Amino acid sequence: MVDQPNGELPKVLQILARPAGLLPLGIVLTQAVRRMARRRPTLFERLDEHRHASFLVEPSDLDFAFVLVPDGEQASVRSYSKRALPSADVHVKGPILMLLGLLDGTFDGDALFFNRVLSVSGKTDALVALRNTIEDAELKPSDLLGVTGRGAAFLDSAVLRALASARRVVGAPNMGAMP
Amino acid sequence: MSLELVCPAGTPSALRAAVDAGAHSVYCGFRDETNARNFPGLNFSPAELKEGVRYAHQRGAKVLVAVNTFAKAGAMEPWKKAVANVEAAGADAIIVADIAVLDHAARHHPDLRLHLSVQAAAATPEAIAFYADTFGVRRVVLPRVLSVEEIKKLNSAVASTGVETEVFVFGGLCPMAEGRCALSSYATGKSPNLVGVCSPPDFVEYCDEGADGTATRLGGFTIDRFAPGAPAGYPTLCKGSFVAGGKTSHLFEDPVSLNAASLLPRLREAGVTALKIEGRQRGKGYIAEVVRTFRKAVDALEAGRPQVEAEAMLAGLVEGGRQTSGAYQKTWR
Repeated sequence: MVDQPNGELPKVLQILARPAGLLPLGIVLTQAVRRMARRRPTLFERLDEHRHASFLVEPSDLDFAFVLVPDGEQASVRSYSKRALPSADVHVKGPILMLLGLLDGTFDGDALFFNRVLSVSGKTDALVALRNTIEDAELKPSDLLGVTGRGAAFLDSAVLRALASARRVVGAPNMGAMP
Repeated sequence: MSLELVCPAGTPSALRAAVDAGAHSVYCGFRDETNARNFPGLNFSPAELKEGVRYAHQRGAKVLVAVNTFAKAGAMEPWKKAVANVEAAGADAIIVADIAVLDHAARHHPDLRLHLSVQAAAATPEAIAFYADTFGVRRVVLPRVLSVEEIKKLNSAVASTGVETEVFVFGGLCPMAEGRCALSSYATGKSPNLVGVCSPPDFVEYCDEGADGTATRLGGFTIDRFAPGAPAGYPTLCKGSFVAGGKTSHLFEDPVSLNAASLLPRLREAGVTALKIEGRQRGKGYIAEVVRTFRKAVDALEAGRPQVEAEAMLAGLVEGGRQTSGAYQKTWR
């Protein structure tokens, strides 16, 4: 057995985050992904036919989950309560801070899988394509929020610092020394 | 001459991460069947390769391009095009396995530096001399089945040819004579040596079995099962669990990663020129961490400083949660 912190939010934060599930996160994230597709149209090329696949992303420490269809400017993100999760082509589950670490390149997906921090099921080829697309995209918070110019650099630095601090607080291990 | 650290890149951003972390050379391939890491969404277009070469050269690093699957009889066009694209991008060498592709490159692109891929499984002085004499191969990537002593003898035997040797020091551990393994062909109907993937992702399934853990399937065959919370590995048949002689075990090899950092002094003494890190399918987080650690280890060796604790530093990145020095100093079952 691997005896390790898996980077989940403390219970108190999980409870405090519950109201976020009531927000229209799906609409906001759909707009963000579509905006990104307009600004960086080549970003989704690596997905090839898997851009039509549905990806259920389930943060293990939150009460809600998302289904992403990364179809460029027709992309959609919908949020669901964990009480009524839909089926999808791919299902990825893990702590929210670790999932966000995959987006910004802090963590290696294979290492999280080897250490059982992430669990995956469904169409493995679609998952691999999405993972590689995200890897090459070098996504920054400003990309998702549509912020450009000097404000983008400030926002990216602040959000990435905050995420790194949050990971330290919850005991999320650094990449190399995980076990 | 310092040991050359050859690092993987599956995407342009991984190439930049490897160069920035201290890679002397980066190896990569095209997004098609000519490349033995042909995963969905991975690899380079010709334009991306050109830009990657520019980025690496500006920072003093080299780019080696793998066109290392075996060309299909009567349908060599993709391989010919790939060789031409490597030269057009200004890459420093091409890594090839197939004699038809080697012959084409030697005849039509004589200025391209030829490296022999591990997929060619050249492990004898005679084989290496043949590739050097016939095609002008300048470097051979050795299969991961040789001990350090065998590598030393091999290097002594080929010294007169001037051929360099490159060995794997970290990452996925292939226990087979590479390029000749057809294990996954039986489960998937696809040859890893022709399509460029040993476990094609569209044949891989991870199945949650509740209290029993997670089962890994390839082509519908269950090849391993990991208890809840236990370290997991890649869905490759050579690291699957099988029943043989009445016993269930990881028959060929355990889910484990190669880490030969502690052997760097002996590998240098054995006459090795370059150290290769496996993992073009891995993320930037892996690449940056592994390249940084091995660059520290190589620099420490060159400066005569104590070796870095690479096993502890890289423990979180390895398959199955375990590391091995592989065949370099292995007692085979």
